[in-house]
Amino acid sequence: MATAEITLDSDIQSDTLALVKSSILNKGGTQALLDQTTGLNKIIFTATTNVILLDSSAAGVGKAAKVYIANKSTDSSEYVTITINAQIIGRLYAGDWMFIPWSQSDAAGNIELAPSVATALPVEYMTIHEGLTPVSA
Amino acid sequence: MATTATISIQNDVTDTIFTVSNVATLTKRGNEESLDTVISATKTFTATSAVNLIAVAGFTATAANKVYVANTGDSVSEYFTIGIESEEIGRLYGGDWMFIPWDANTDDNITITPSVATAMTAEYMVFS
Repeated sequence: MATAEITLDSDIQSDTLALVKSSILNKGGTQALLDQTTGLNKIIFTATTNVILLDSSAAGVGKAAKVYIANKSTDSSEYVTITINAQIIGRLYAGDWMFIPWSQSDAAGNIELAPSVATALPVEYMTIHEGLTPVSA
Repeated sequence: MATTATISIQNDVTDTIFTVSNVATLTKRGNEESLDTVISATKTFTATSAVNLIAVAGFTATAANKVYVANTGDSVSEYFTIGIESEEIGRLYGGDWMFIPWDANTDDNITITPSVATAMTAEYMVFS
């Protein structure tokens, strides 16, 4: 069983916030558990080119994959821009992470990434999913 | 003033069990100044039409905003489809949550579409 838990702590408000939310990662529409993963990957980017980080797959369209991406840079000015099918989601600055459901709405629903600098920007990512279509040799 | 977001993913999908943990201190774009505004709300939906959950109006564009959204229900079959502008990101089934950076550029509203019309509830927070 895979689980994902977020803890948000904040003292922006006069009453401090301490939110904890944990979820069991199921397949879409069922209590069956997600049972496949890419494992945790790390890439050090040395160009600012927009690249496909995760390729939308016919086997994953309309399903309940989960995606984790983290910018492991330590320079606060460096970021990666995350897009899905050319729609900008946002920028992950150094130390930031994101966790999303990814339904791969169609073949163009790739998750893409564009580093802000070409000077060795490390990114970690992982997907836990229901299936990927293998690329033919 | 500081906000931290911590994730812990426990993964036993593979024979070798592993945990991924990460702590982010939420700062404004390009510097180490803390995000200093938070909006928190809960909404219950009783129709399946797509609506704006969070509109860009009032937020700084191309900023380091962060958004948390959760489906507070416990149904494994009912879900919210979450999108930005016209692009679908994914589905939040009962108990699922997501945490994203949000660019908040023109028209980048975060949209939500319930799968059923029988009182589904979402909670969300925006740190900006």
